[in-house]
Amino acid sequence: MPISALMALSYAAFAIFVIVVASKWVKWSSMPMHLRWELYPVPHEAGRNQYGGSYIEEVDYWKKPRETTLAGELKDMFSEMLFIKRVYEYKRPLWWLTYPFHAGIYLILAWFFLLFVHGILSVYISIPVLAKVVYYLIQICGTIGIIAATLGCIGLIIRRFSDKDMLNYTAGVEIFNLFFILIVLLTGIATWITYDPNFQHAMEFMKALVAFNSAYLPKLTTIAEVHVILLCLLWIYIPFTKMSHFIGKYFTFHKVLWDDELNVPGSKVEAKVRELTRLPMPWSAPHVDTGKSWDENALENPKDEWGRWKY
Amino acid sequence: MEILSREIKPEDAASPVDQLVKLTVRDLEKLPPPYDKPGMEPELTDPKPEWKEKYATDLDGYIAIDLPWKPKNKEEEERLIKSFLNGLNKLLTKEGNWTFLQPLLLSLEYCAKCQTCSNACPIYIMSGKQEVYKPTWRAEILRRIWKKYCTPAGKIFGKFVSGDIELNAKTLMRLAESAYRCTLCRRCTQTCPIGVDNGLISHEIRKLFSQEMGIAPKALHELGTVQHLKVGSSTGLTPDGVKDIIEFIEDDIEDKIGKRIKIPVDEKGADILLIHNAGEFLSWPENPAAFAILFEEAGISWTLSSEQVAYDAVNYGVWYDDLQLARIAAKHAEIANKLEVNKIVVGECGHAHKAITVIADRVLHDDIWIPRESCMPILWEIVKKEKINFDPEKNNFPVTLHDPCNMVRLMGVVEPQRKILRKLAPQFREMEPHGVYNYCCGGGSGFAIMQSMNFPEWRNAVATRMKFKQVLEAFKDCLDPSINKYICAPCSNCKGAIRDMLSYYQASERLSIYYGGLVELMVNAMVDLEEPFVEWEFH
Ligand code: SF4
Ligand code: SF4
Repeated sequence: MPISALMALSYAAFAIFVIVVASKWVKWSSMPMHLRWELYPVPHEAGRNQYGGSYIEEVDYWKKPRETTLAGELKDMFSEMLFIKRVYEYKRPLWWLTYPFHAGIYLILAWFFLLFVHGILSVYISIPVLAKVVYYLIQICGTIGIIAATLGCIGLIIRRFSDKDMLNYTAGVEIFNLFFILIVLLTGIATWITYDPNFQHAMEFMKALVAFNSAYLPKLTTIAEVHVILLCLLWIYIPFTKMSHFIGKYFTFHKVLWDDELNVPGSKVEAKVRELTRLPMPWSAPHVDTGKSWDENALENPKDEWGRWKY
Repeated sequence: MEILSREIKPEDAASPVDQLVKLTVRDLEKLPPPYDKPGMEPELTDPKPEWKEKYATDLDGYIAIDLPWKPKNKEEEERLIKSFLNGLNKLLTKEGNWTFLQPLLLSLEYCAKCQTCSNACPIYIMSGKQEVYKPTWRAEILRRIWKKYCTPAGKIFGKFVSGDIELNAKTLMRLAESAYRCTLCRRCTQTCPIGVDNGLISHEIRKLFSQEMGIAPKALHELGTVQHLKVGSSTGLTPDGVKDIIEFIEDDIEDKIGKRIKIPVDEKGADILLIHNAGEFLSWPENPAAFAILFEEAGISWTLSSEQVAYDAVNYGVWYDDLQLARIAAKHAEIANKLEVNKIVVGECGHAHKAITVIADRVLHDDIWIPRESCMPILWEIVKKEKINFDPEKNNFPVTLHDPCNMVRLMGVVEPQRKILRKLAPQFREMEPHGVYNYCCGGGSGFAIMQSMNFPEWRNAVATRMKFKQVLEAFKDCLDPSINKYICAPCSNCKGAIRDMLSYYQASERLSIYYGGLVELMVNAMVDLEEPFVEWEFH
């Protein structure tokens, strides 16, 4: 049976999400190497990350092998990703709202994944025991996820409006984003309560998607249809907005705050520095020789009539 | 004078009022005893009326950028806005800003406006939470301008996406001044769940004004990097001048330790080129003297340089201008290579540490590459390997350690200096918080050397206030003026800020709190020395 319009929208939403996220990833990773700007503690510094030390604490550090710890980095990464550690430590009242919201979203993402696994198990490979386990996990993740995310989202909206520190800095689009998520969550809750208390239809929907076959599609109520459409639109919308900060966060930490890669002769870093310092300087202040390269500007500074550096 | 009498928002940067805020001592965060009583600190003053004509007093009445850059008429205002937007566009290109493009765009793009960072900022907190000093205030102004003028979404959807902002001369004057109400300490960045860097945004705003329009505080540019490159030092010290001072230091050492030490200058092939902040030669010659004593006693092969630029480790470019940073770093490396030394070692100067060791790591290449390192690990090796005999009892007075942000939070040199103090200062006590979570001395990012107009008043009353509070707390068990207390600040700029802080609050007279570097304490503990090296006098 051909695929339905809702199925087509679901595929499109997923594809657009993946493509835009991937292109953003490419955009950030293809940016030029910047000057070092790390911030301590850098968690991969073996033996020193506890107090924020660096390899520069050693005499002749550039001659010595670097000792790094992936475990240290993973620990910091996961405690931030899974527990939002910095908000917990530095702004606890907000954490009580943002944590359920984010944890709820993680559970909903897990729920999607489980639905997908369940779809595969019912269409392609039959492992009844696993299907059973997945079924129960779907109940747990779906239920806790949607409740936590909705409560967190409502809390965040209330906080955003009641906390002047936050409200004064918030643009209309940021409020719109929160309400958009809330509406998707509320239509999800309405669908769940009125139509799909065991996520049976959600499983069927995913089965149809996995099988590329609309014959498996359940008959959706209006609220369920509205929910699916809004959810798909949200998937499409997220990567274009700041809500995709999960991408940014990787780069801010890994490529800026923890980037302590050393430049030594013959290294890749040196090759990049050589290339970048050949770029022409577009700046216009009097002390800049506009159009000349960074290197020329830095090394062949114009001299005054006494042979002294002019700037 | 008209000020804004309601809560301030980012869009108020464009407000036509004379000044957004006016500070009074009563607004500021309270200090611990004995400074909790009225009359213990000076009242804050208004800017002189004539300053308002030419200078940007529009933020809080204080002037960091001591150039007469206030537009006089509509045409000048338009020219300023146009230059600013040109500069902003350059800041967003690879050619103009490969140096910080990725960090800047990440920080502009992803702030969640959660304000987790605000309470980490010593200036915001100690000012009594003045909105204009909040880490996100200036960042949000730049972000809104960027969104509105430089992004497709902002151009199409306007205020709905960018937030409200009007771009006029007031906005730009307040934005530029507010970039100089942040010490670039990046304490706020440590707390941000997304890794957004408001300190970096201040840095980029400063750069935009400097690199495009030549607008920067005189102490940083004209009398700072330009004088450094032209004359040899940002202090104005010439090569001949430095040689004279070195001779004077040799005499002084002889007076103090009864032994003449020949300070090596321009010695080719030495292992180490030691570069001090030239401010040490002029204001604290005992610091280079102490280095000389320690290095000679420990048998280290080292030299100073008397060549222009290389006898001054400072690199003010790191605070406001990438090109000036590159020029000075390249000159340092070039001269070191000419001297055929194995490495550059930076004396007690925090920003010089970071500039040449970390930031310039991606400026130096090929012929102008040379290893660079901090003096701290070498000093710790002297103690650890017992190359000199020390008697810690000679330092038996209360000592606390100030962590220079540049050396600690921004380059991870945390432990060597503490290990030395734990060994050599029996009454060493930490400030809270300390290490990588320290507070800036208030002199960071150039503030310590910005002495013109009313800026020092702001620095002393607001920027150094947190440090003063920490110092009082660290010494709370021994505030009695009969006990001499020592703030160990292994950084020239921090020492400058602490000196001014102690003088502003009269803390040396009232409480016998003094300050100095780390090497002075080390020499003070040397068994061979008959007289104490540390002198308990305020200077
Ligand atoms: S900079 Fe970070 S902590 Fe501060 S408001 Fe933005 S996201 Fe929140
Ligand atoms: S960098 Fe430091 S001074 Fe600047 S806003 Fe952040 S915490 Fe405040």
